[in-house]
Amino acid sequence: MALENENPLVFEAAKDRQITPEEEDDDVVDKIDNREVFDLIRDINDPEHPLSLEELNVVTCSQVHVDDDKNEVSIQFTPTIPHCSMATLIGLSIRVKLLRALPARFKVDVQIYPGTHASEDAVNKQLADKERVAAALENSHLLEVVNQCLTSRKT
Amino acid sequence: MAFSGALQLTDLDDFITPSQECIKPVKVTKKSGKTAAIKIGDDGEYSQIGIDGGEVKLEKATITLNDCLACSGCITSAESVLITQQSQEELYKILNSNKILLEQGKSDECKYVVISISPQSKASLAVKYKLNANEAIEKISGFFKQLGASAVYDVAQARDLSLVESGHEFIRRYQDKETDKTALPMLASACPGWVCYAEKTHGSYILPYISSTKSPQQIMGSLTKDHLGGGRKPDQVYHVTVMPCYDKKLEASRQDFYDDLYSTRDVDCVLSTLEVDEMFKREGIQLGDVIPAPLDSIYGRQGSAMNHPNNGSGGYLEHVMKHAAKEIYGHTTGDLKYKTMRNNDFKEVTLEIDGKVELKFAIAYGFRNIQNIVQKVKRGKCNYHFVEVMACPSGCLNGGAQLRPEEGVTQKELLAEVEGVYDENDATLECGSDELDQLYATWLGGRNSDKALKMLHTQYHAIEKETNALGIKW
Amino acid sequence: MISLQSIAELEAHSDRVWSVSWNPSGTLLASCGGDKTVRLWGKEGENWVCKYRLEDGHQRTVRSVGWSPCGKYLASASFDATTCIWENKDRDFECIATLEGHENEVKCVTWCSNGSLIATCSRDKSVWIWEVDEDAEFECESVLNAHSQDVKMVLWHPTKEIVASASYDNTIKMFKNDGDDWSCFSTLASHESTVWAISFDKTGERLASCSDDKTLKIWQEYLPGNTEGVATVGSDSAWKCVCTLSGQHPRTIYDVKWCSLTDYIATACVDNAIRLFKESDCNTDKNQPSFDLLHTQYQAHTQDVNGLCWNPKIPGLLASASDDSIVKIWQVVEK
Repeated sequence: MALENENPLVFEAAKDRQITPEEEDDDVVDKIDNREVFDLIRDINDPEHPLSLEELNVVTCSQVHVDDDKNEVSIQFTPTIPHCSMATLIGLSIRVKLLRALPARFKVDVQIYPGTHASEDAVNKQLADKERVAAALENSHLLEVVNQCLTSRKT
Repeated sequence: MAFSGALQLTDLDDFITPSQECIKPVKVTKKSGKTAAIKIGDDGEYSQIGIDGGEVKLEKATITLNDCLACSGCITSAESVLITQQSQEELYKILNSNKILLEQGKSDECKYVVISISPQSKASLAVKYKLNANEAIEKISGFFKQLGASAVYDVAQARDLSLVESGHEFIRRYQDKETDKTALPMLASACPGWVCYAEKTHGSYILPYISSTKSPQQIMGSLTKDHLGGGRKPDQVYHVTVMPCYDKKLEASRQDFYDDLYSTRDVDCVLSTLEVDEMFKREGIQLGDVIPAPLDSIYGRQGSAMNHPNNGSGGYLEHVMKHAAKEIYGHTTGDLKYKTMRNNDFKEVTLEIDGKVELKFAIAYGFRNIQNIVQKVKRGKCNYHFVEVMACPSGCLNGGAQLRPEEGVTQKELLAEVEGVYDENDATLECGSDELDQLYATWLGGRNSDKALKMLHTQYHAIEKETNALGIKW
Repeated sequence: MISLQSIAELEAHSDRVWSVSWNPSGTLLASCGGDKTVRLWGKEGENWVCKYRLEDGHQRTVRSVGWSPCGKYLASASFDATTCIWENKDRDFECIATLEGHENEVKCVTWCSNGSLIATCSRDKSVWIWEVDEDAEFECESVLNAHSQDVKMVLWHPTKEIVASASYDNTIKMFKNDGDDWSCFSTLASHESTVWAISFDKTGERLASCSDDKTLKIWQEYLPGNTEGVATVGSDSAWKCVCTLSGQHPRTIYDVKWCSLTDYIATACVDNAIRLFKESDCNTDKNQPSFDLLHTQYQAHTQDVNGLCWNPKIPGLLASASDDSIVKIWQVVEK
């Protein structure tokens, strides 16, 4: 069987972020902002295409919201097609990446950008269920795929 | 449409709704390129747009019933797939094309349509139309013959073969029990819901214990395509069975019952009792008003409705116990005593000789009782020699595709009535007969011939758990 | 004024702790979690120490633990699709049985009040009833497929042979023995998302439930022929939501426990807080009760609070489990 979306539109990636002198100074308390969180997830690979979530426009910087004081991070992502069966897997990859990379104090919400997927509510509910996520990550086959998505292609 | 409980429990997909096509994602080798895009039209159709701007409509991937059977994933979501592949519409299609061919004078191209009616379906319809069992089956026969069927059989005749063959298989397993650890307990194989569950969930642990004898439906299939077609090739015969449960559709679709040479199945189409009742409605008839037509017989004479003693699921325990008692111990049993154990769907029958329990058999219906048997077998703690396993509580008379109770009648009351009608023509038919022995000789070339093995036995296949991670449901 | 005083912080788990459960005599606290182990904590002198570590029973996360009413057996439910039964043998706990049958993750295990039945539930959407016979053999008594989704929790009624279940399908269902098999006799639908946990009060006439919809609900039982005119079917009682507490929890509530000694209701929330509620004294109409939030213990843990358990013997002694891998013991202080 073929890919659902064999040749998707490809978008240009944003420029790499400039690191400011303040950020390199360990004495300055450095709050986590949306650009920083975006940098964590932009290079995640699509499960089916040899492209990153950023290149597929699945994640954009403007759909990352961070409130460092409230310890909240919320991400909205846009599946390439409304019936994309990989949506939960993409969401899971984003969630796992942030679980591994962000300090444990953060409460993370990963959701589908409203109106961009046929099973939006069902996917959101599943992604929000940490018990399901925990169980999924104990499945070695699934974990392997998630890890592949999280392995950077950049050297 | 609902399958038996055993199937409903196997690992379900939470997200495929019947409206969505089931997609089995595939891993692809990574390739680069941006040659085309996919466009989704207003009608929901997907088109591919090439670099030259040309639009190609993309075909929707459809999943066949066979894909479903080979997949360890969902099963109930595949319901809609089943409806299109096996239904009264398919039968009507064949009957209509026959009519047209006849009009064109091409009668030799017509399919030879054979209908095989299960006694459970007969009993369910008899209750609804207030007929006795014999009247009911001859009227059903009349109905199908009027529609254009060439022959109508009672599946109980094939069941006779299935029972006799099960009895032989048990003796063989019993004799092998010292050398083959998986010889006993022998688990009955007539229920496709149970077999499918065992294949998907318990694989190699349980499958060797399951009787290799084909179910009555599939033996009827072998008979129809190989023996009763009057010299026609298997693909010239269109064989329809009428069954009390939807799981029988899954059984008929198994690869094991597909003839590659002629691209045809032993049972081409399974109609549920409910679907047959819908046909009556469509034709605007009351079964009681139909002019009866005599049944055909697998022995080439006029048939009559028949039944095997004890219970609506075929009487496997009854026959195998009586046969084993006689063959192994030279003991003729009277009426067997069914002792209710944990619940009404779990019963025990023992053969005691001189105060010593020699054989211990059980009936285990419904998912909960199947569980206890399966777990005990897995741990080597099952001390039964034979278990008649059926997926539905109360067995086949209570199958998922039987007619529903009318208003004011409980399921239990209806079941009691159906059981009553079912047992009516319980003409204390003992398994096997001289006619049957002759059939073994003429059709199969003897009892243990290669052909007998091929026509009366089948195999089971453990289904590996899905390891393509893209398809894993979490 | 009500407050929660920290009594002990129990650190030994190497991963998130999902659930805690006191034994019937209140002397041992069982905890379990992502590190695939069960730990049993008890007091030595003034100190709480880890007395037993139950390993090798499960291949994956242990999601929940439950004691038999006699305190001799402990059941543990795991994502590995099995439930283990551990027996207290003198100085050790030994796994005496493994209940297999669920297709995938077992989420919860619970014993009925007389110890003869066990209920388990799973992501396979089913609730199973197991019978315990004299030789501690466990046989499947019923498989209930009433829920349309993942079943998160099962709980027996404190006195009757009734089991309640909470599900990802947003409902709570109640099951009873119908003679030959078990069946669902009541569906409690009012939550708008996953029902994570339920807890009966000491009488069994009320049930508290908490959900992903950030509300806490109180349900009241109405017997056939009730004077309030709530419709019932046959001899089965009806359950009606009589109070919804919303606004107090900013995020998903993972657990709720109704204390049979003090009547406090404690909740465990994703916002790291434990909250205490109690029915208002001023309101005596059982059909329209009101509950007050008496205390919020902010930052009770540094991450999500997953589970709670009231000590069955010491009033106001509460244990909590968290993603921060720590089990804490608290005492309610009324000043």
